[in-house]
Amino acid sequence: MNLPRQALTLVVLASLLLFGVADAQAAQAKAAFDPDKMADMSDFDPNKPVIPTGDTIKIAVVASFSGPAAVVGQIYFISVQWAAHDINKRGGIMVDGKRKLVEVIKANHASQPAETKKVAERMVLQEKVNVLWGTDGSHLMKIINQVADKYKVIAQSASALSDELYDTTNFSRYSFMSSFSTEQIGRAIGFYYGKIRKKEKKFYILGQDYLFGHSLADGFKKGLKEYYPEATLLGEDYHPLFMKDFAPYLQKIKASGAEVIFTGDWIPDAENLLVQARQMGIKLPFANLFLDEPNMLHRVGVDGTTGLVHVSQYGAEGGAFKTPGQIKAYKAWNTLWKTKWGPPYNTRLYEHGTGNIGSYIQQTYWLLSVIERAGSTDPEKIIKVWENDSYQLLNGKVLTMRSCDHKAIQDLHVEEYVPPAKQRESFNIPPYFWYEGTSSVGPSVAIPARYVLPKMDKSLARCKDKSEAGE
Amino acid sequence: MTRRAVRWLAGVAALAVLLAYPSLFGIYFTNSFVTFGIFALYAVSFNLLLGFTGLLSFGHAMFFGAGGYGTALALTHLKGLPLLPALALGVAAALALGVLLAPLMVRISGTAFAMLHLAFGQLMYVLALKLRTITGGEDGIGGFPIPPFSVPGVLSVDMKTPANFYYFAVAVLGFSVFALWFVTKTPFGCVMVGVRDNPNRVAYLGFRVPHTKAVVYLLAAGSAGVAGSVFAMFQNLVSADGALHVFVSFAPVQLTMIGGVGSFFGPILGSAIFGVISELTSRYTERVELVSGAILILVIMYAPLGVIGMWHAARARARARFAPRGAAEPAR
Repeated sequence: MNLPRQALTLVVLASLLLFGVADAQAAQAKAAFDPDKMADMSDFDPNKPVIPTGDTIKIAVVASFSGPAAVVGQIYFISVQWAAHDINKRGGIMVDGKRKLVEVIKANHASQPAETKKVAERMVLQEKVNVLWGTDGSHLMKIINQVADKYKVIAQSASALSDELYDTTNFSRYSFMSSFSTEQIGRAIGFYYGKIRKKEKKFYILGQDYLFGHSLADGFKKGLKEYYPEATLLGEDYHPLFMKDFAPYLQKIKASGAEVIFTGDWIPDAENLLVQARQMGIKLPFANLFLDEPNMLHRVGVDGTTGLVHVSQYGAEGGAFKTPGQIKAYKAWNTLWKTKWGPPYNTRLYEHGTGNIGSYIQQTYWLLSVIERAGSTDPEKIIKVWENDSYQLLNGKVLTMRSCDHKAIQDLHVEEYVPPAKQRESFNIPPYFWYEGTSSVGPSVAIPARYVLPKMDKSLARCKDKSEAGE
Repeated sequence: MTRRAVRWLAGVAALAVLLAYPSLFGIYFTNSFVTFGIFALYAVSFNLLLGFTGLLSFGHAMFFGAGGYGTALALTHLKGLPLLPALALGVAAALALGVLLAPLMVRISGTAFAMLHLAFGQLMYVLALKLRTITGGEDGIGGFPIPPFSVPGVLSVDMKTPANFYYFAVAVLGFSVFALWFVTKTPFGCVMVGVRDNPNRVAYLGFRVPHTKAVVYLLAAGSAGVAGSVFAMFQNLVSADGALHVFVSFAPVQLTMIGGVGSFFGPILGSAIFGVISELTSRYTERVELVSGAILILVIMYAPLGVIGMWHAARARARARFAPRGAAEPAR
């Protein structure tokens, strides 16, 4: 279906209007990250983290710290530790009548379900953590949520994205999804191709064969049906996690005549998939979620990464740096990366504290803000504050926690990857590019929240009479 | 005090510690003990094949997984299914798989036995991943109801409480281990060892080697199924990676090697040692596998009969050293 010009104008106007609404929301957010209050972070070193002990607010980062996905744990740890370090240098948070520092504890689940349960229980029962922060793998987050529910501690799902985690079967009032979710992501890509880009029509889904991969694919299919009905889905394949050889899948996709490959693969699958596709001479663009890891992008180079379409929960339309506060916060991170940090935190992956890292940092600030406003580490008091809460991130975006099913409502951004010379559209401060050796974020389009509201399971009793906007 | 009395006292003391364990050590270590118990039974079932019958399996996880999936599927789809029938269905699934494979497996041994088990184990793993609508794929089956332990009209004990589940698990696993130990002490147990040491001589004596192997095979499959079933209920989750992965097949190999092949209690000791090492190392490093791998290498190089073998050797040396002079000389 080709929308008439008037309809397109309406969409654009609606987007602008919603931007206005977003601005208004920003003004109305119940709390906001204030870069002016940031502490001097010059002593922050993820390899030598300053971890307070004693009577602290304890956050367990439950993630892969070993095995093929160990890098994911590193990303989470530096993100959460950054926010904790900042808060600690400001003197901590006043809870239960006492100022407490934030202690971050690594909890390695090694991507194993049995280990996830064991380590999450150890964190709750032995380390007495207040929050379980996770994780890489929705199937593992499900276990973390079960542990949180059983022992009544708060869980923050900052990076497990499946909608099913908060459906009627799996919902726990102790768990909050502060990230975007699979159906939102799929629909955002569908919206982008159907209502904004309107070029490619033939799609192929390649995903990881577990809850997240299937859930994301369902979201994309829904998005195409809703916003791009004339598009054709030529096929869908699902591969086991941590595959080494993508050639059979890629050959099949090539033979199908697809114009775009939709994937939610994350490291290390993301890297193997992209690198092998380009080695096989397959130049098709990937509409993706995690093909943004810069070391991998550099392996492929500028040509092979141009045209990638990336959906982001921490994007910004136009320049990424709009206020002095944003520039200050960015430089605080980037300067340390350049001058202080050792391996593995001195690789390109950690050069910019933006993108997914930026999102994880800001989600952690939201959690800490909620605890501060609750004035307590009592889970019941935290739940009371977090439900219906709204928080403005460093980049101006506002997240609202839908109270009935604990999912975050937010605008998303779809970004097109362009060569370094064109990256100034996004990286609007010197040196005017994100990376010199690879394509990266260029034009970025906001997908207003109302087009991509998180999926709501109406059979969840708490959501029965609620609209998708949570009202 | 007689030796018999000491044994009785030790048994009563062990029972008292087992009963008081949850109160003494708290929920976390109670759960750790259940995990130890599950893997101890799993390793003992494996050792029944390797240590007592000389059959090395690289695919024992398929029985463990079959038990887990059997129970998980039963509890998911059969509403109101009581606890013990759920356990029995898991064991039945493992036994059914054993019955299916036994006609082929009892006629081979050595490398062929090991590699065929590896192949079938991997087949089960891939099937669990691919049959997503049945097995839940990579996510597995989780969140199924755990029924209470109930005797109609008499009592109903909630199994979601860690301490209650502990008593149930200890009873089931303990009984299974005892049953397997008992089998090894029967004349049939001697035939098993005979099959391991010299199958031709056993056949010459009139015993049917394939039939003997088949019975051992089913005993091993069934008891691995018990472990898998309890594991599924304990975790409230069963997944391909957690129950059928090749590492799950290698786990009892490792536990048995560390504890002591051929000794009934070796795998139990191996499970305890491994549990303690894993518990301690995971607090200080993410490289738990590296530590346990290094220990396995050291054991194979310097104590190929495991810790129990080392203990026996040390005891023999001590006896020889402290024995009265001339005691070692043959009587004239």
